[in-house]
Amino acid sequence: MFRHVSTGITRKKLLTGAATIIVGAVAVATQPNPAQATEELNALVWCDHTDPALLAPFEEKYDVKVNLKEYEGTGAGLSIIEQSRPGDWDVFVIDGVDVHRAVDMGLLAEIPADALPTSDIFPEVVMAENNVVDGKTYAVTEKFGYNTISFDKTKVDPKDMEDMSVIWSDKYTGRIAVYDYYLPVIGLVGLGLGIDTADLGTDDMPAIKEKLFAMKKVAKQVGEVVSSQTALATGEVDILVGGGEWITAVLSEDKPNLDWIIPKQGALRWAQSIGVMKDSAKPDLALKFVQYILSPEGQSKLATSSCYWGMPANAKAGEHLNDAQKAALRWNDQAGYLKNSQLYPIPDENLDAQMQDAWVEMLQQ
Amino acid sequence: MISSRFSKVISWAYLIALYGFIFLPVIVLVLFSFQDGRLPVPPFNGATLKWYGEVFADNRLMAALGNSLMVAIGSSLVACVLGFCAAYGLARFVLPASRLQRGILIAPMTVSYLIIALGLLSTFNWIGISLSLWTVGIGHVVINLPLCFAIIYASMGDHQKNIERAARDLGAKEWQVMTQVTAPMLMPSILAAFFLSVTFSWDEFIIAFLLSRFDVTLPVEIWSLLRSGLNPKTNAIGSVVFLFSIALLLVLELLVFRRTAKK
Amino acid sequence: MAAASLEDQENRKAWGFVTPALLWTICFFVIPFIVMTAISLATRTGREIVMAWNFDNYITFFEKAHLLKGLFVSLEITFTVTIISILLAYPLAWIIAERVPQKWQRMALILAVLPFWTSYVVRSYSWLLVLAKNGVINNTLIWIGVIAEPLEMASTRSATIIGFVHFFVMLLTLTIYANLVQMPPNYRRAAADLGANGFQVFWHIVLPLTLPGIMVGAFLTFVLCIGDYITPQILGGNNELALPQIIMLQLGRRADFPMAATLSIVLMGAVTLAYIACARWLKMERT
Repeated sequence: MFRHVSTGITRKKLLTGAATIIVGAVAVATQPNPAQATEELNALVWCDHTDPALLAPFEEKYDVKVNLKEYEGTGAGLSIIEQSRPGDWDVFVIDGVDVHRAVDMGLLAEIPADALPTSDIFPEVVMAENNVVDGKTYAVTEKFGYNTISFDKTKVDPKDMEDMSVIWSDKYTGRIAVYDYYLPVIGLVGLGLGIDTADLGTDDMPAIKEKLFAMKKVAKQVGEVVSSQTALATGEVDILVGGGEWITAVLSEDKPNLDWIIPKQGALRWAQSIGVMKDSAKPDLALKFVQYILSPEGQSKLATSSCYWGMPANAKAGEHLNDAQKAALRWNDQAGYLKNSQLYPIPDENLDAQMQDAWVEMLQQ
Repeated sequence: MISSRFSKVISWAYLIALYGFIFLPVIVLVLFSFQDGRLPVPPFNGATLKWYGEVFADNRLMAALGNSLMVAIGSSLVACVLGFCAAYGLARFVLPASRLQRGILIAPMTVSYLIIALGLLSTFNWIGISLSLWTVGIGHVVINLPLCFAIIYASMGDHQKNIERAARDLGAKEWQVMTQVTAPMLMPSILAAFFLSVTFSWDEFIIAFLLSRFDVTLPVEIWSLLRSGLNPKTNAIGSVVFLFSIALLLVLELLVFRRTAKK
Repeated sequence: MAAASLEDQENRKAWGFVTPALLWTICFFVIPFIVMTAISLATRTGREIVMAWNFDNYITFFEKAHLLKGLFVSLEITFTVTIISILLAYPLAWIIAERVPQKWQRMALILAVLPFWTSYVVRSYSWLLVLAKNGVINNTLIWIGVIAEPLEMASTRSATIIGFVHFFVMLLTLTIYANLVQMPPNYRRAAADLGANGFQVFWHIVLPLTLPGIMVGAFLTFVLCIGDYITPQILGGNNELALPQIIMLQLGRRADFPMAATLSIVLMGAVTLAYIACARWLKMERT
């Protein structure tokens, strides 16, 4: 491309050429952003909150720009906070089971109980034992769903999916994908072994590890949200371990064959909570954001957000969802699912390290 | 000797096969950006421009595009100026330990971007500098400075030295010599360095990923797009970037390099 | 005296030119590297990073098989990619330089590197779509009737290697071509006049003359390939982890900076060894 050229050049033309490009580029770069707002709110979130359709109504109403940083896994989220300065973050979305950890670290501020639509939230997911510490509410459940087994019902025998052991049996060798998040999948493997997530301890790790490795042996791939979706949607695999409505609902229009089930041993329930950071310089605005997310409108948009779908915590969100969306979320079957599902394991520092090591070891098999 | 016709056929067949390999992903990318449906894999359901509409309606993507341009041009300008000055200093003056100095300046080229990014991240954390597009820019200058320095240094020959000396004898000050004599003479390599830097910075992922916070560059935004759902929108933005780059390349080719070559 | 002060002045001027670039590199490259090295000697207890000044992380690296394997995975992939890329790119560059008419060469070269300008992240993703079970290749092959069952290509090491080779063939074609055209044609003519056949000319004249260029290209490939995260992450399906993927896991999942730094130093060590090998080899060639 860059041919060697003689030095006798028309400097002016060169410079005008370069200048035109630079000026043009800078003009594009500095073009006023339509979302140019007076105030900013910084939120540390899971990826479902980054959907513009979710944020736009709030941003417009309060003339605020919501800055988002996504993370995956509580450990990563907490470490981002630790590397920041106090006051950097206003809103924090965190796994419901980890709210206590955040409160113990002094990260979250108390939310006045009357600011939240607690009576509208499905009673099973209020999760006061997680969100409330010493009688003070620090966070509120915003969305939930299940990590279980998703599959293509035209390609596998749905009967096989009723038993968790299918994930490490060799019947579907090379046709299984595993969701790349250690907590829920280790929890599922535990359930398959008859261990409740709440009882999972270091003693169980050898047995779990063995099954993890067996699972890896028959799996085609281990991937995050999108590569798992891609694999299911393109027929690369027929079964997704750790999947659920959150991964199939978003594909329901294009891939009606995708289904999910809670095996007889049960499944894992995930629940996200949202709270206001204690050191936030804009606690009022942050609270307004939490309230917006918990409002029926915010809830319906969060439930059907582009990254992944999930049941809204607020029952009134149903008014804003159409029938197809509700069907994809299995709105009417929740009672049964809630009964058969358990929360994520809550490992201490040591167990967490062991789980992560086991996970990387499994990947490296 | 093997018959030349035979070897000719083999050559052309090889050429076509490799061009096929090189262009395969690009063609598939562009083709399925028009896919009518959510899945950018066969079968091709028919053409739609819907995904392009979505790309241009996506504020975050467009903001990221702007950020990328800003970082690429800004960091390349800094890298070029620093690289040019250093090349001038080292090529025109006798300095102690000049070999060591050249070595230090070139060193970042031999280190993986990931390591540069991690080093900067640890250091910024340690000092307490928050991440932003500025930190990304700093990182991009680090990777582009050796490139600019090497390209410009290599093009500083002795025949320009005489012209510079003449200018100096005529009473030009050092900075005048540098900006009005040396820089114009070396403009082709300076521009080459600049545009190469822009290309690298524009497409760089890992440094931009680790050193940015809210405002991100295009590759980082595409990465999170990829992580947030499979759809032909990713194909569309990829195609847009490709066409945009080709257009820029053409403009350069016609406006700058072709013209300079003819003179 | 006057002469000395003039020299002083000259020197000061020269330093003025070089210092900004040097300072930049020292502040944002050398010092960060030292900081990172120091952090690799720390340990992470709880979420605190404690400066322990010991080699525990390095010991852990060699003790834990899944970490050590990352290095070997990276090395295997990188060597394979480097060799395949050179073998594919050399003939291409040669054909462009020798067979393509002079006035089309530039065009042919630009065409060969054009896909550079698709975004790098998108390129890997695009390969995923090409290699998928019902992707373009499998569909075409089944349609032609070459295969009955789709090949398992995506989410394998082969996919990672294909993605890499694609990128480096473009890069190496460029560097090797530059080398080939720089070679004075009379060398070959002279050899041919002396009775060497085509193969002998290539083996004894062309190849040795272009080898330094190839080595430089190979080293560049090595550095870029071994440090890359995107390609194995998108195409490899997490069926094995290359070192950069493990580094990113340490950062993203557990914020274990000390371990990430340790692994980076190990990666750096591998690159340095490759550099020394290349440099030595080049020196040997020259003498």
